[in-house]
Amino acid sequence: MNDPIFHVDHLSLEYRRHRRQFAVSILKDVSFILERGGALTLVGPSGSGKSTLLRCLNRLVEPTLGTVWFEGRDIRSFDPRDLRRRVALVMQTPVLFEGTVGDNLRVRPADAPGDFSAARLEAALAEVGMEPDFLQRDSTTLSGGEKQRVTIARALLRDPQALLLDEPTSALDPPNALLVVETISRLRVARGLSIVAVTHQPELVRRLGGRLLYLVKGRVEAIESIDEPGAADTRLQAFLAGGSLPEGARRT
Amino acid sequence: MSATASVIDLSIWQLGLALVLVGAVVAVSVRQSLGLERDLVIGSVRTIVQLYVVGLVLAAVFAAARWYWVLLILATMTGVATQAAVSRLGKPLPGGNWIAGLALTASTAATLAYVIGVVVGVRPWYEPQYIIPIAGMILGNSMTSAALAGDRLQGDLRARADEVEARLALGFSGREAVQPMMRASLRAAMIPTVNGMMTVGLVQLPGMMTGQILAGSSPLVAVRYQMVVVFMLAAATGLGSWLFVRLASGRYLTAAHQLRRHLL
Repeated sequence: MNDPIFHVDHLSLEYRRHRRQFAVSILKDVSFILERGGALTLVGPSGSGKSTLLRCLNRLVEPTLGTVWFEGRDIRSFDPRDLRRRVALVMQTPVLFEGTVGDNLRVRPADAPGDFSAARLEAALAEVGMEPDFLQRDSTTLSGGEKQRVTIARALLRDPQALLLDEPTSALDPPNALLVVETISRLRVARGLSIVAVTHQPELVRRLGGRLLYLVKGRVEAIESIDEPGAADTRLQAFLAGGSLPEGARRT
Repeated sequence: MSATASVIDLSIWQLGLALVLVGAVVAVSVRQSLGLERDLVIGSVRTIVQLYVVGLVLAAVFAAARWYWVLLILATMTGVATQAAVSRLGKPLPGGNWIAGLALTASTAATLAYVIGVVVGVRPWYEPQYIIPIAGMILGNSMTSAALAGDRLQGDLRARADEVEARLALGFSGREAVQPMMRASLRAAMIPTVNGMMTVGLVQLPGMMTGQILAGSSPLVAVRYQMVVVFMLAAATGLGSWLFVRLASGRYLTAAHQLRRHLL
């Protein structure tokens, strides 16, 4: 805990569509710390603000109050484009652009740094368990699981320090979901990635380990460790099923 | 432009005879229980009242031939066109009126100045007989294309918000991330104009040309004016919708390259 990669400090977010409308509160005074190489899973009922909180970490969403510190720096002091290369996002529905898998891996702004040679692309594919001949495949011919793994490979090519996962498996069938879960947990160890994930997939929660953050109506209800096997498991199941705060979870 | 043939003036009685045509539609509506009688009558009354008022105002402005009256008319027309252009948006865009007003004013002023000042060479520039109808054509078309562009832009950004976010997450700037949607909405806005250019004169004689011929102009003169009008409208709609899309897409983005999803 003495070397945090993320320090989320009293984050609140409200939206006001029109000046005269009431503000809708999405996040209320959210704070947490993620140590380098650690994992944190956000769980909570739908509409509780998990995806929004995740997007505050790479500044796709701007909080109304509070600060996110990344590597000891206020994220507002980064160029947002640079920040997003260091803090990659994998979304629920994989977005692939027109063209081949190779084209998709190479997608980047004109001035973006990095090695996008064929060898590097093949290595990135290998990291997500895909053969090099996928490079020539048209992106529309891939299965959902393959698409998701391509978006993960695309994120890896930017050498990110942290990975944000927004329900990366919920659009996939069970076998494909499992492949993605395996890919992510393997990468976490191999690359020493720090991970913040939103997921309802118990297998992914278990394999990531680290801590669970229960978010209910935009507020942190509890944070607990799940590294002792089995301890948080039954409570997590109950929470995912019922959406209520598990008994015994530490209140914050 | 001197009328070579004398134009038949229309008397009130002749107008009344024309109304018989509406009476025929009303009869059809009653027979087929279309329930359109009321609207047809209201529509006819509105046509008479609105056009008479416009005719009286134009007659006064034409007689006075003062630049400030002309500018006032142009400003009013631009205001109405602006309102119509943004009223199509599914969700109101904050500052949308200013953006549409700016886009329509700039594109109309530029095209109008070139056509009036350089191409046709009207002296003085505010000669109402030329500037008002020409401005009307430009505004009418720019208004439609800006509305199409804005509607398409908003719809595409909403439907493809994930794609925008994916690009942003890969380190693209906001501008770069919305580029495909800007392009699609500009193309959609230009399609009616381009289609019109392809079939002009073949499907339908353009209104202005028809009017000029009715007023006694030689068809060859009328055709040349129509060509100027077609080129002018292409420029005005292209410029107007490009400005509108550029400014409007900026409203959906922040300086920190974020998509303002709650506006969609």
